[in-house]
Amino acid sequence: MKNLLTSLSLYLLVLTLAYAQPNAYQEAMKSQLAAMQQIDSPEKGATVKNAFLRISEMNSTEWLPLYYAALVEIETAFRFDGNKDAAFDQAIATIKRAEKLSPSNSELTALHGYALMGKLSLDPASRGQELSPQVMQLFGKAIDQDRENPRAVILMAQMEQGMAQFFGNGPEKACGMARLSQELFDKEKEKIDEHYILPTWGEAAAKELYSTCN
Amino acid sequence: MDRRIILYLFFFISPLLAYGQTQISGRVIDEQGEPLPGVNVFIKNSYDGATSSGDGSFEFLTSVEGDQVLIFQLMGFHQVELNIQLEGKALKTPDQIIREAITDMNAVTISAGAMEASDEKKSVILRPLDIVTTPSAMGDIVGAFQTLPGTSTLGNDGRLFVRGGDASEVGIYIDGLRVGNAYGTTAGNVPTRTRFNPNLFKGTFFSTGGYSAEYGQALSSTLALNTKDLSLRSQGDLSLMSVGGGYSHTLANEKQSLTASVNYFDLKPYQSLIKQDFDFERAPWGRDAELALQKKFSNGGIWKVLARTEAGGMKLREQPPGEQNSDQTLDLKNTYSFIQTNWRRSFESGWTIFTGAALSDNSDQVNLDSVNLNRKNFLFHSKFSAIHDFSDRLSVNSGMEYFVRRYRESRSPHNPMQSFDDGQLFAFTEWDYYLSKNWVLRSGLRWGSSSLNQETWLDPRVSLAFRLSEQSQVSLAGGSFSQLPVDNLRVLNSQLKNSESNHLILNYLLQTEGLTFRAETFYKSYEELILFEGYPQFPLNPRNGGKGFAQGVDIFFRDRKSLKNTDYWVTYSFVDSKRQFDQFQTQVQPGFAPKHNFSVVVKHFVTDLKSQIGASFSWNDGFPYTDPNLSGEMNRKTKSFQNLSVSWSYLPRQNLIIHGAISNVLGAENVFGFEYARQPNTEGRFESRAIGQTAPRFLFLGIFLTLSKDKSANQLNNL
Repeated sequence: MKNLLTSLSLYLLVLTLAYAQPNAYQEAMKSQLAAMQQIDSPEKGATVKNAFLRISEMNSTEWLPLYYAALVEIETAFRFDGNKDAAFDQAIATIKRAEKLSPSNSELTALHGYALMGKLSLDPASRGQELSPQVMQLFGKAIDQDRENPRAVILMAQMEQGMAQFFGNGPEKACGMARLSQELFDKEKEKIDEHYILPTWGEAAAKELYSTCN
Repeated sequence: MDRRIILYLFFFISPLLAYGQTQISGRVIDEQGEPLPGVNVFIKNSYDGATSSGDGSFEFLTSVEGDQVLIFQLMGFHQVELNIQLEGKALKTPDQIIREAITDMNAVTISAGAMEASDEKKSVILRPLDIVTTPSAMGDIVGAFQTLPGTSTLGNDGRLFVRGGDASEVGIYIDGLRVGNAYGTTAGNVPTRTRFNPNLFKGTFFSTGGYSAEYGQALSSTLALNTKDLSLRSQGDLSLMSVGGGYSHTLANEKQSLTASVNYFDLKPYQSLIKQDFDFERAPWGRDAELALQKKFSNGGIWKVLARTEAGGMKLREQPPGEQNSDQTLDLKNTYSFIQTNWRRSFESGWTIFTGAALSDNSDQVNLDSVNLNRKNFLFHSKFSAIHDFSDRLSVNSGMEYFVRRYRESRSPHNPMQSFDDGQLFAFTEWDYYLSKNWVLRSGLRWGSSSLNQETWLDPRVSLAFRLSEQSQVSLAGGSFSQLPVDNLRVLNSQLKNSESNHLILNYLLQTEGLTFRAETFYKSYEELILFEGYPQFPLNPRNGGKGFAQGVDIFFRDRKSLKNTDYWVTYSFVDSKRQFDQFQTQVQPGFAPKHNFSVVVKHFVTDLKSQIGASFSWNDGFPYTDPNLSGEMNRKTKSFQNLSVSWSYLPRQNLIIHGAISNVLGAENVFGFEYARQPNTEGRFESRAIGQTAPRFLFLGIFLTLSKDKSANQLNNL
């Protein structure tokens, strides 16, 4: 009897290992987050974006896979040649899907602003008047939704820096925000452990902006 | 063997065996058989999948078994689901075709006759910002459109004249609703402007012919202005100009925004500094108040209200030709109100519903010496329309409209009041059919009726567009267009019927990043134009029966990339038009349709100066006119018209713009025609007076300041 129990429990354990994978979602996310760091071509970008979209198909109540799919699309459009306008539009469509799952999410609002900033950067002369207030408003809203979100602050700082350069104003405001975002990044780091899959990107940009301040 | 071992083997090995993987491979292609990279191929309800590579091929391993669904997914394409059976051995699927979805972004658009100014769409000719920054426009919407193909500039009128048509042949709409008396009332050859501020609009759609069945009662052209959606932030806007000033305040949150503004302009101080060629007893002045409301509903609906009221006037002394010692005084007063409201909502089911109503009320009081003319125009327009997308290939737009048009006119002391009331009912339906993303056919029908003259009519329209390559397309548009005569003629003869015009337009459009080339050729016929005896100011016995035609070519080229920080466009329009209309006995070239029209607009941004410097040049070969001392009609032509305008916009701070502009820098002495005495003098000659410009130049200086608590920035300081 004891043997049988042992056998059964062993059997269940094997089954669990083979099929169920309780943290399949976590694992899938982590493996794609690792792959995200290795993107060196638009093709690899598409591969990782699609992998996140597949995860979102399986886990249709999670906003995070859609968030990363959009982030990869935006970053790929910034880094490589291609139809950038269409890519930013697609990213915004993906973000809107995610917002239905998680309304008033500071990370999604900031990412939406980031995508719009991409569109703005393609033709600042004619899009500036229309888009820059929208971008500023989205970053402002993202900060409002979560005052500890360092990405919202550093993105806003980048916009402020661009505006200050255009109008010939001093960089004080942008620099102040960059410093603030670094503090928030440090705070965020305390929360990060091996299971952490929430967004953590953006610190390099903060450092880069801050380095121009001295 | 020991049963238990077998049992163990079964229990422990089989799950691990089942975890063995099957390879799936294949290739994805588009409708043309070209490989499609970037397609997400995966098994439904699993993490297993791959992305197709440059040659369209994919392969991946999966651990699932049995009957499964393989999904092919790519944004902008129709998703395909393929049933597959996984039995442990490698599976190679046949080449899978996936079809591109036809969307606003990738489909060909009908560009015949159409010019769009928008930030949102692809095939635009102008951006909304271009309207404000075109030097010769002086901030007037129509002024900017006068630098586009198919139009001619009449410096003594200011309105929009399209392809041999007069100004009444252009229908002006705000959010799909017709605006009555869209231009300020004027007289005595003082040019007018559009009543509405360009900052109200996010986009404009200007058609020079062959336009959609959604619009009617305009023989030549429609100008559709679309108001802005929600304002993003609360702010105050202050403007101080050489000709007046204004303040506008906006209150906004995420669901609604409200803008209220007041403006006052008066040319008196300006005219006391700069000498005018016209003898103004009271310089043109005006005041207006405006209210705009936008409200967004959580279900995606949007509700808008726009209301405006204004008053203005001027007093002018003129000397009729041949009467040296008898000045006459023209005194003009105008009051105008416009209110409109509309609601639009898109449903997930593919329906878009629009409903709205607009009311325009205009009152003019003109005193010419002892004669008093009082005119009241009233226009009510209500509209309901529904768009249904049956699929990405077929979309139908249908609707009903009802108009009330009311006109009162009295000329004291001699004539009693004359008036008419007309109820007009319209129905339209328009079908857009995409054969592919490269071919679109649009066919439409517009039906109308008038209670005043008991007439009913039907206007069929059709257009076709074909994309030649990624950057270029051709389109063809044709159809018939009806328009009832202007109010002051209908009041004299209520039985006047529609004038009619048939259009045929062929268009070629080439757009690459930063470059636009557009060429268009057209023919249009005119039937049943109005003829009368007497003079345009005092028509007698109006009747249908005039006819004519207009034909021509126009070319437009815009380049935003070749020269750094520079944007320029060049337009040439050739119009050959002859028509019998108004008091003319024969078919003549109308005075408002110069044959050769040319314009250039250049804008250059100087980063170091934080300034945009602009120049625009317009030229035409002269306006025909009738000299009664010679035989025939339209027997002479003025010398050519030219206007070089320059502007400077300086942005010292984010919220401050200083804008200066000068029109006709070179001081060209433009003449738009001649006015002749009605009776010959003692030598038997008709004496004349040139119709010229109000002043050689116009100078404008304005300071525009935006006051706002930059909410986002302030919040940051509180962090």
